[in-house]
Amino acid sequence: MVKIQDLLSIASSIVRITGSLLILWATFGWKVRKTRRAFERELIRQGMSKEDARELSAHYKVLKDQLTSTLIQALRR
Amino acid sequence: MSEEKSERKKGMGEAEEVREILGVVSTQIPALIRGVVGAVFSEEAGKDMGRAAGAFYKELRESGMPEDVAVKMTQNYIGVFTSLGDMLKEAVSGKGKRVHINVGKEGEEEIGEEIARKIKEKIAEKTERE
Repeated sequence: MVKIQDLLSIASSIVRITGSLLILWATFGWKVRKTRRAFERELIRQGMSKEDARELSAHYKVLKDQLTSTLIQALRR
Repeated sequence: MSEEKSERKKGMGEAEEVREILGVVSTQIPALIRGVVGAVFSEEAGKDMGRAAGAFYKELRESGMPEDVAVKMTQNYIGVFTSLGDMLKEAVSGKGKRVHINVGKEGEEEIGEEIARKIKEKIAEKTERE
């Protein structure tokens, strides 16, 4: 028979992984916004217009979406 | 009866194995993802990339390039980012190009040993640092 201690340890590991991934997912959007803002600030400082800088920083959003879908795809496997 | 006992022992061994694997995975996987995300999505990384793209744009403008062309070229320059995401996607889905080097059975074993040695070294280095 499987030890209760082992089962508890397995359950706690699963909870830990799920919790960590949830925290990562929750803070991801905030990190992307912060990165975009820093990126735009630098571009504007070099003389680019605000609109163009915003358009260029949209690449971060694309990358974020790609990474998220890649991770989901990997976890599904 | 003895069969039942050996089945039970096997089950216990498997559970212990799963417990050990999950114990390692539960710390390593989130740390790995955090590392990958942190390398690209952080204020510092954004600032560095912005500085590089800004310098590129400024250089183009100063050399007399029209604004819309300069912006378009900077956009292409930044597009490398998106291709990074594509690369990761391909790597995960296994659609990427695979290079096969024919080294023979002995060569394969040697490479395997070399990889194992390198991994062990890295683990030892990491544990020493921690």
